[in-house]
Amino acid sequence: MATQVKLRQVDEYRWEIPREGKMRTRGLIFTSQRMLAKIQEDQSLQQVANVATLPGIEGASLAMPDIHWGYGFPIGGVAAFNLDEGVVSPGGVGYDINCGVRLLRTNLQRPEVEPRIEELVNALFGNIPSGLGSRRKDLKLSAPTLHEVMRYGAGWAVKNGYGSKEDLAHIEAQGQIAGADPELVSDFAQDRGKDQLGTLGSGNHFVEVGHVLEVYDARLAAALGLFRDQVTVIVHTGSRGLGHQVCDDYIKVMLRAAAKYGIELPDRQLCCAPLSSPEGKQYLAAMAAAANFAFANRQMITHWVRESFEQVLHMGPKDLGLELVYDVAHNIAKIEDHHVNGKKKKLCVHRKGATRAFPPGHPETPPAYQQTGQPVLIPGDMGRYSFVLVGTEQALTETFGSTCHGAGREMSRHAALKVAKGRNIVRELAGKGIVVKGAGRGTIDEEIPEAYKDVEAVVAVAHGAGISKKVAKLKPLGVIKG
Amino acid sequence: MKPAAASRKRPRKYRQLAHTADLGLRIWGASREELFENAGAALMGVLTDRRRLRRRKTAEILLDASDLEALLVAWLNYLLYLYDVDAFLGREFKVLELTPQRLAAQARGETYDPGRHVSRTAVKAATYHHLEIVKRNGRWQATVILDL
Repeated sequence: MATQVKLRQVDEYRWEIPREGKMRTRGLIFTSQRMLAKIQEDQSLQQVANVATLPGIEGASLAMPDIHWGYGFPIGGVAAFNLDEGVVSPGGVGYDINCGVRLLRTNLQRPEVEPRIEELVNALFGNIPSGLGSRRKDLKLSAPTLHEVMRYGAGWAVKNGYGSKEDLAHIEAQGQIAGADPELVSDFAQDRGKDQLGTLGSGNHFVEVGHVLEVYDARLAAALGLFRDQVTVIVHTGSRGLGHQVCDDYIKVMLRAAAKYGIELPDRQLCCAPLSSPEGKQYLAAMAAAANFAFANRQMITHWVRESFEQVLHMGPKDLGLELVYDVAHNIAKIEDHHVNGKKKKLCVHRKGATRAFPPGHPETPPAYQQTGQPVLIPGDMGRYSFVLVGTEQALTETFGSTCHGAGREMSRHAALKVAKGRNIVRELAGKGIVVKGAGRGTIDEEIPEAYKDVEAVVAVAHGAGISKKVAKLKPLGVIKG
Repeated sequence: MKPAAASRKRPRKYRQLAHTADLGLRIWGASREELFENAGAALMGVLTDRRRLRRRKTAEILLDASDLEALLVAWLNYLLYLYDVDAFLGREFKVLELTPQRLAAQARGETYDPGRHVSRTAVKAATYHHLEIVKRNGRWQATVILDL
C-alpha cells in the first residue's frame, strides 16, 4: 500500500512532511534517497503525520532512519510533548516496554573464543531460557519480590548478587526509572512477569557473541574500552509478558481517557491521555515499573552470560573482563529537559524503536562518558553486523537526543519465510562463521538477514546527519535466538 | 493486504496478512460467535501447529470490553495471557455468550510441550491498529494486526 503523504527533501539526509490539515507540526524523516523508496511502500509516513496531530507536540514529529510501519506510531518514531497540554501514549512506547540493548566488552581476542564458539553458544542457550513463552523454572518471584524488581530495576538484581555496582553506572538512568509504582501494574501483568525474569523471549530478541571488526574513531573506541578483534556480547530483550500486559491494560484506559478529554484520534492505537491527567500519570508510573523489570531482566541475563563464559573458557571474572559498556532502552517515554526555541522545557519524549543519544557533557550522560557522549548500541541482523555509536550535540538540538535503534525490517515475516523456504539458514550462517541456535526454526527463518535493511545504510544516515557518531562495527560469531 | 479469492468447499476461517514488522489476521465467520471462535484458532495457528494439540484441559473465559472490536482484541490478548501464565494453547474454541460488551467462552487444549509441539512465532499482543469487524456478503469479517 503506497502512501500519498506529501514530502519535501530538505537535504541529503532529511525529508519533511509539511504541516497540513489536522497536523499541529511538521514531520521530519531522517533517511536517504535509496531507503526512501522502500519507506514509501508502506504506511509509516502517514503514521508520522498522524503523530503530528496529537496535542502538545513540541518540535517535529520525528522518524529515525530505521523507520518502518508500526501500529499507531511508526517504529523509529520520536515525539516530544510538553507537560501542560501534551499527552502520553502507550502506543508511542510499544508493547515491549524498555525493549533495549546492552553491550559487554571482554579482555578476550577473537582467536581465543572462535574455536569454542559452538560450546559457548550451547552454554548460553542452556543457561538463558529463550523461545516462545520462555520461563525460568528456578526463579519464580513472590509478589513482594516482584514489586521490588519493578521499583528498583537493575539495582534489585545487583543487590541480589546478579552483577556489580559498577554495572549500574553503565545503564541508562542507572537501570531504574524514577516514579515506578508497582501498585498500578495489574495482577494479570504481574502473573505474566513472575517467572519470566531472566528470560530472553522470542522474535528478534537475542544474545550475540561477536567481535570488533572495525574501529572508526580510535579515540572514542579506546574511551569505551573497545579495540579491534576484541570479543563482545550484545543482549537484546525487554520486559516480556509483564510489559506487554501493562501496555494492553493502559491502551484500554487511554481509549476511555481520549474520549473523556476530547482528544481526536486518527487511529485508535494512538490513544493517549494528557500528561497532567491521572490516567497519564498512572501510565507513566506503570510504564516505569515495567521498564525497571526490563532493566533487571537484562542485568540477570548478563549474570548468566558471565557464568557461561566462565564455564566454557574456565577463566575467572577478572581475566574475562566481561564489563558493561552500556545499556540503552529503545521503547520508552521519558521526562527530560530540552531546549525548544531557546527555552528550557520539561518534555515527555516518546522513543518507539529509537535510542537516546545524549552528547558529551550532558548531565544524564554517565560520568564515564562525559567526554565521549553516551554510547548508542545498534544491533543489526544476525548475519551482518552491529554498530556502536555515541550521542551528539546535533541529536540533542534536532531530535531531542535520539537516533536509530536497529536495522528495521524490510520484508514481512511471510515474505522472509518464503525466501527462506527450502534453505537451511543455520547452515548458511555457519558457512559465514556464525553459529546460531534458536528455540524455533521458524524464528530463525523469519529473522534471515535479507529481511532487514542493511544496518550499515541506516547508521550511515544517522552518522551523516550528525545525530550520532560511528565508533565501531561488530560482527557476530555466535547467536542465541528466541 | 488483499486475500486471494479462494474457491473451496468449506468457507475459509482465517488467513494471515503480511505486514512489514508485524502480522495481520483476517478472520471470517457465519456469525459473530463463529468469528470469535475462528479468531482464537487463527491466533493459535501463529503460535504453533494447532493439529498437534490435544483437547485435555478446558479454560473458561469471561471478558468485558467497550465494544465488539475491543472485545475481539481483549479475547486474543487473554489467550496470550493464558499462554504466558499457564503455557495453555487452545485447539478448539466455543463461544457461550456474546454481546457487544461481553464474551463468555471456553477454550479446550493443552499445556505447551516443547517435545511434541511446534514453536512458531511469538506474539506480543493483538493491537487496535486498523482493527475492524464488518459484515460482508452475509458473513462477518475481522481484521486484527498482531505485534510480534
